[in-house]
Amino acid sequence: MKNAIKIIASLFLLFAFSATVTMAQKWSAPASAKKKQNPYEASTKNISSGKKIYNINCKSCHGDATMGNMLPLQPVAPSDLGSQAFLMQTDGEIYYKVNKGNGAMPTFEKTLSDEDKWMVITYLRSFDQNKKASKKIAEVINPEVSDVRILLDINKEDKRIIANLSGLTKKGDRVALQGIELSVKVKRNFGYLDISGDDAYTNEKGEVSVQFPKDLPADREGHVNLLVKVTDDAYYGEVIVDRIASLGIPTNPVNPLDERAMWGTRANAPIWIILSYVGGVICIWGVIFLVLFQLIQLPKLAKNKE
Amino acid sequence: MNDLPEQKETTLSFEKIKKDILRPMQNHKGLELWIAFLVTVISVCAWAYYVQLRDGLGVTGMRDYVSWGLYIANFVFFVAVSLVGMLISSILGLLRIDWITPISRIAEIIAVAFVAVAGLVIIMDMGRPDRVVNVLIHGRFQSPILWDITVVTTYLTISLLLLILPMIPDLAICKNELKKASPFLKRLYNLLSFGYINTPSQYKHLHKMIRTLMVLIVPVGLAIHTVTSWLFAATLRNGWDTTIFGPYFVAGAFVAGSAGLIVAMYFFRVSYKLKDYITDVQFDNMGKLMVAVCLVYLYFNLNEFLVPGYKMKTGDDVHLTELFAGHWAIMFWSSQLLGNVIPIMLLVTKKFRKPFPIMVISLFILAGAWIKRYVIVIPTLLHPHLPIQNVPQNFVHYYPTAIEISVTVLSFALALLIITVLSKIFPVVPICEIAEQKGIEVKIEA
Ligand code: HEC
Repeated sequence: MKNAIKIIASLFLLFAFSATVTMAQKWSAPASAKKKQNPYEASTKNISSGKKIYNINCKSCHGDATMGNMLPLQPVAPSDLGSQAFLMQTDGEIYYKVNKGNGAMPTFEKTLSDEDKWMVITYLRSFDQNKKASKKIAEVINPEVSDVRILLDINKEDKRIIANLSGLTKKGDRVALQGIELSVKVKRNFGYLDISGDDAYTNEKGEVSVQFPKDLPADREGHVNLLVKVTDDAYYGEVIVDRIASLGIPTNPVNPLDERAMWGTRANAPIWIILSYVGGVICIWGVIFLVLFQLIQLPKLAKNKE
Repeated sequence: MNDLPEQKETTLSFEKIKKDILRPMQNHKGLELWIAFLVTVISVCAWAYYVQLRDGLGVTGMRDYVSWGLYIANFVFFVAVSLVGMLISSILGLLRIDWITPISRIAEIIAVAFVAVAGLVIIMDMGRPDRVVNVLIHGRFQSPILWDITVVTTYLTISLLLLILPMIPDLAICKNELKKASPFLKRLYNLLSFGYINTPSQYKHLHKMIRTLMVLIVPVGLAIHTVTSWLFAATLRNGWDTTIFGPYFVAGAFVAGSAGLIVAMYFFRVSYKLKDYITDVQFDNMGKLMVAVCLVYLYFNLNEFLVPGYKMKTGDDVHLTELFAGHWAIMFWSSQLLGNVIPIMLLVTKKFRKPFPIMVISLFILAGAWIKRYVIVIPTLLHPHLPIQNVPQNFVHYYPTAIEISVTVLSFALALLIITVLSKIFPVVPICEIAEQKGIEVKIEA
């Protein structure tokens, strides 16, 4: 009897243990989810917008695709989403996992739109060796260089920004770097506005040309803070230039805290609310003090026997 | 009072009234035991508050989403109960309804105790109570918090005055009669009786003051609970974003306050042996009043839940479904049924308006009223407009911790202690007003 209990108990433990192990290792999507297809085509535009979404939402854990620099999370580390081993899965499977989340992997069901999720998948699929369509981005091979720099040329009339990416070869020649994605950004109140457009890969002269939006408001002088960087730090480390340029439309900034408003500071409370509050307090407390004053006179009235 | 008709024939003499009402203040063994009990409860629970002070609000169940928990629900309840002072002694008093005379002082004592503790509950809800002065130093006129602090202190002041002023003639009697009182109490009676000897000019003067305050407390009383409701209604949250919140809260307050008063009346009648003063008439009339205020409250509840429930707007739908049939359904329906609908049905029959049954019903109404405040405050916070995601598990639910519950018990014990002490040192039934009402001449020696 005792033995039987022991056996049952150890069987149970074994079962529980293997269950947790398989749960931790195998995270698979149901068959129905696997069949789902990506409705978006693998165009450069889609891949590049997918990359941006990836950099904002996924890179912090999954690192750079194909680089294998993921965050070493416990108990299950995130996979390299550019690796061939991962890309064995169907689009539908990946879509399912991104939606659901698992363990440290958050759910993106509500935080990312469907389109955004498919864009990320399009981007990841561009690393798939078995799909030829998307090869062209990674194809250009640049010489090994150091001292990578971005030079900016800003044309004020056309509001055009031309960024030139170059590096120093071992022989000491400065050469243009081709096929590298640059991000061109403008500083706004909360973070940066990306104005790179869809196809911000350097051409054979190492150049990217970006049209500055014609209607972007700026400070009183029309100054804006520009920031141009190589999108992927993984290639050459962080390569950034920033520049103040008068490309924006001069505007007189209004501080919403300067006007009298409900959200303002106390000094900027709307007049009517100050009057109502102070008026109410004075009226009510005025009467209270009047009563208190009369109360003090009560003892005196004892003598007044009419 | 001099301009009243000559002394009527009555079984009650002025001496007897004085004796009946002053007796429990002089010797009452049970009372001291009760006070000792309350003090013990308070000391034990004060330790919980000390832990909260030392370790911060992390010891409560409140997190980022539910940042108003048990404490604020309790605060709303306390404010609600305190409104009974304004309903009984001022609204009914100004209407010259005479059956309230023997219970008006109890109503005023409840008002003072509950509104004072309500203010304390707010401070107990602060992780850094020392920062409460910042509301006065930096408070914005636009913020309902500033209005609330203002109106709570104002209501407390006026309620205190409305407790003391009508008591001045009685205190003059205490000064003369209670020879064995402690020196402190003697000084207090002497001070607070303001040399009153019931001369006609003093009488007129005093009653003018009282009437002024009775009028003044009506807008302040309405304001205190309306502003409390605006703490909620001034935000854009599902379940709070409604225009009827002010009157809805006031109606609810009348219900809770009347129930509190009935319970207190019962205990004073039994424990202070005041059957001749707090008679069945008072209970019967309070029962009728209760039906009236409950019906008004029921009407507001219909509006508050039927209209959004009919439309089920996005956002409201989750909130309402959770209330009607989800996680909060038991609390919601028990507060509506046990705290409102069933009491109405019972109290329309005279049988249930007898002292004991109506006291039991009032206990249910009080419990329902408390739970109602809880389901007004917490579910809304759990249903924000933006989805709750990527947060620790204990942010998603709210369960009050033992510390929070103890501090809440502390607030109740404190309110009961204040009521007990006030009723120990002051006559709970107005001696002179009763005598006047019965046409007995009031004599106060100088
Ligand atoms: C907070 C860190 C974190 C972020 C941010 C994150 N992930 Fe993950 N991800 C993980 C972890 C950890 C796993 C492994 C989970 C497991 O297998 O239980 C994972 C697993 C996955 C998987 C399944 C991998 C496999 O081998 O089947 C996919 C697909 C995935 N993530 C996609 C994404 C995408 C797309 C984004 C951005 C939209 C993203 N993740 C953002 C941590 C993260």
